[in-house]
Amino acid sequence: SRGRVASSGPTTPPGISEKVSESIKHAEEACSDDPVSGECVAAWDEVEELSAAASHARDKLKESSDPLESYCKDNPETDECRTYDN
Amino acid sequence: MAICAVYTATTPIHTTKPNFGFHQKHQLILYTSKERSRRWGRLSSNSTSSEISCSAETKTVVIGLAADSGCGKSTFMRRLTSVFGGAAEPPKGGNPDSNTLISDTTTVICLDDYHSLDRTGRKEKGVTALDPRANDFDLMYEQVKAIKDGVAVEKPIYNHVTGLLDPPELIKPPKILVIEGLHPMFDSRVRDLLDFSIYLDISNEVKFAWKIQRDMAERGHSLESIKASIEARKPDFDAYIDPQKQYADAVIEVLPTQLIPDDNEGKVLRVKLVMKEGVKYFSPVYLFDEGSTISWIPCGRKLTCSYPGIKFAYGPDAYFGNEVSVLEMDGQFDRLDELIYVESHLSNISTKFYGEVTQQMLKHADFPGSNNGTGLFQTIVGLKIRDLYEQIIAEKAAAPVEAAKV
Repeated sequence: SRGRVASSGPTTPPGISEKVSESIKHAEEACSDDPVSGECVAAWDEVEELSAAASHARDKLKESSDPLESYCKDNPETDECRTYDN
Repeated sequence: MAICAVYTATTPIHTTKPNFGFHQKHQLILYTSKERSRRWGRLSSNSTSSEISCSAETKTVVIGLAADSGCGKSTFMRRLTSVFGGAAEPPKGGNPDSNTLISDTTTVICLDDYHSLDRTGRKEKGVTALDPRANDFDLMYEQVKAIKDGVAVEKPIYNHVTGLLDPPELIKPPKILVIEGLHPMFDSRVRDLLDFSIYLDISNEVKFAWKIQRDMAERGHSLESIKASIEARKPDFDAYIDPQKQYADAVIEVLPTQLIPDDNEGKVLRVKLVMKEGVKYFSPVYLFDEGSTISWIPCGRKLTCSYPGIKFAYGPDAYFGNEVSVLEMDGQFDRLDELIYVESHLSNISTKFYGEVTQQMLKHADFPGSNNGTGLFQTIVGLKIRDLYEQIIAEKAAAPVEAAKV
């Protein structure tokens, strides 16, 4: 159902993603009356904050995107996960 | 962790003049102890006495990093903590939305945690997070000062997802405290606590290109919304954030390349490292000859570069009335041999072995900026901070010895 596809890597968790799109809609409405009001500026600042949070959430997912690595975190004793330092 | 010095003398410590000089058994041992609270311990037996001085002088070294949101602070932080060894992770078992990162040596706190107004509060008042009125500088000063003095604090957590201020988390004094965010050098009291400060200065063109890369795939965002967000925040940014760069000991400026005419992709960058002269414990990096003005294209018979190549520049300059040295790199690396070739021509980079810069960059080849001047200069600044930290610690450890000699 997602309109656009991210270039590569994980997509934003839906909770944050929704908040970002809501905040953009809200900012566009807040600025339609007065584009330099405090209300308008604060609304776009919220968009920036949520966009940054979304980007950080994607980065976090990227870190844990290796399927073998996440499997080995839970199952370190299995054949494919055991490592010995001698 | 504390640095301790043990003094052993064959004369009782209580003599009016402890003359260490006469006795050859006088020895000095430097070791580290996890007990921060033990300041002065005294062991006395019949004719031998030892004096242990601990941690009284060992304070946390505080580093400030200023940059706008979405300008690569977190990448810089990961490079910095990596120079000190060990990975930086969020506090274990705490709030999953905590902004703090902790490694063996370094604790990074995000200054958004000192918001005095949460998201709803800012909306009601019509102010941005960039506005000083949205931030509690008194609490910021008190807590950073406490940590610098070796006292743990209960620091609030600003939750970036919910926009609310969560219950506080305990921050213990680390060896190195990094405060990163929008206003580390805004308040003069906080500024005076900093042992070193860095400002990441991203030009408008590059900021726009980076935010497009970051946000275009996000649902609801468009070129217009990204542009509108940058434009709306710009007056506050120019009024409250940008002026802080005059106080920074090092500024990393990121500009569009001059190697490609009319480039606006923001992929090839011209990056300047502006280093203040005369800062204690910090000697600027130089290229070939300190103090000269040099332009250097490393590509030629010894090095093959692909389009658009690499161009370095170095020289003295003035920055907000301060004397500075500026090192500049335009272009990007394609292969490792280019980087080691460049590293071998830079001096004063505070490496511990030949090739350390290259090795650090290779270690994080997947981080943004690893093929251009942003990654290179962030890594070098990380090494300079390690050097600064080691000098401060060495000087503090030496101070009690000097005192004992009198």
